[in-house]
Amino acid sequence: MLVLGWEAAVAAGLLREAFFPRPSTVLVHARRLIADGTLLGHAGPTLVRIAWAFSLAAGLGVTVGLAMGLWRRLREGLDPVFAVVYPIPSILFLPLVSFVVPRGEAALVLTTAVTSFFLIAFTTTEGVRQIDPLVVEAARHYGARGRRLFTAVLLPGALPYIFTGLRLGLGYALIVVVAVEIVNASRGLGALLWLSWQVLKVEDMYATFFVIAALGAVLSYGLAALRTHLLPWAQDVADR
Amino acid sequence: MTAVAVPLGLLALWEVLARLAVLSPRYFPPPSRVGAVLVESFAEGDLGGETLVTLTRLALAFALATVPAVPLGLLMGMARPVRAAMEPYIAVLFPVPKIALLPFLLILLGVGEPAFVLTGAISAFFQIIISTLAGVQTMDPRLLDVGRNYGAHGVRLFRTVILPAALPAIFTGLRLGLGLALVTIVAVEFIAAKSGLGHLVYRHWQTLSTPQMYGAFALVGALGLLLTRGLRAVQARTLVWQEDPGRL
Repeated sequence: MLVLGWEAAVAAGLLREAFFPRPSTVLVHARRLIADGTLLGHAGPTLVRIAWAFSLAAGLGVTVGLAMGLWRRLREGLDPVFAVVYPIPSILFLPLVSFVVPRGEAALVLTTAVTSFFLIAFTTTEGVRQIDPLVVEAARHYGARGRRLFTAVLLPGALPYIFTGLRLGLGYALIVVVAVEIVNASRGLGALLWLSWQVLKVEDMYATFFVIAALGAVLSYGLAALRTHLLPWAQDVADR
Repeated sequence: MTAVAVPLGLLALWEVLARLAVLSPRYFPPPSRVGAVLVESFAEGDLGGETLVTLTRLALAFALATVPAVPLGLLMGMARPVRAAMEPYIAVLFPVPKIALLPFLLILLGVGEPAFVLTGAISAFFQIIISTLAGVQTMDPRLLDVGRNYGAHGVRLFRTVILPAALPAIFTGLRLGLGLALVTIVAVEFIAAKSGLGHLVYRHWQTLSTPQMYGAFALVGALGLLLTRGLRAVQARTLVWQEDPGRL
């Protein structure tokens, strides 16, 4: 409906074609971008960066989060540090990261991972802490300790929270990767979007935007579907 | 004890390593120097000005998002046709990184404040509307029944039952929305604006004036902490019937 209205409005001259190209024109451009490989060539690096950043953030975040949930001392020590660093928008870490690692892929990936890491660590800690102490006590009573207690009680108990953290973290990684690519990359969807703006290729800009939007939808709803499939007993924590 | 010791210890470690030149002082100036530069640039007045620019953008964006988002969210929660009409668009647009809208807004509105502020407002808008809707949808239906049985209808039912039940979720939405608006505004400043704290970090990065860069960086952190902690304190104090305001 909206798309048809848009098409009609442009055709009738209500919207300026230079700024609001017809959806059909955008589609034609998108087809051409896909056919000559431009779109894929830019989507590839973005996907690889998200994959790396997300794996890094998830691996470290869940580990640190579990440790913080289990050991009070660690939690008390790291909490204030995390509380200060977490609200800093990820993109500001780009200069810092670029001092530590060589500019290029590694800097982009690390910057993208920062905020996702904190989100995942926070929710994981919360997930361990909200486990009913009675359950843990009962498990101990039945002789579960050490590794067994961890895999049979603590991890499954925290899993719904961990999953919420992963979902939020993935969403954040996409936001940051686009921002970072706008600033500091020659390839990637963010870079393509910004480049198309700078040379005023409006149709390419729309086409890129729709790919980014689709990517966001696929990542977010894909992960939600995966959670319902894997953890059917637990509601998404952020939905409460 | 540990809560104070660990951050201070980390800062002290950084100071010592930078002074001993184990960390290159060019890239990692000692915290004491960052602090001195921070005080100095505040005294000269330019840092306060830039902070004010960022805060103004943030306030405008937040207001621009909240004013339509809360009523719309409530309306969607209470009127099925409104929800049916709007939900698909919100579901599609919510996961889109809003920073990708910046070039469109720059074309539409020109390079300037309206485009910067609006990008921030849009990121907060979707978060607030979704939280508000969830607040109405997840309220205990028994509360509605009880309210109705006691003769509450229309405006009265809304004011005494629905709104108080949804308020904790709305507040959480406002808090998350404010955080998102800050992230987006600072990113927009970093990318496109020529003023504000985000731009300050970018400029000092390009000129490698690292003490100033870390100063602006720390200021953004303090601002974020103040806003999120402040709002959570307000939430805990005003919504006393809510058990746990949550952490994020």
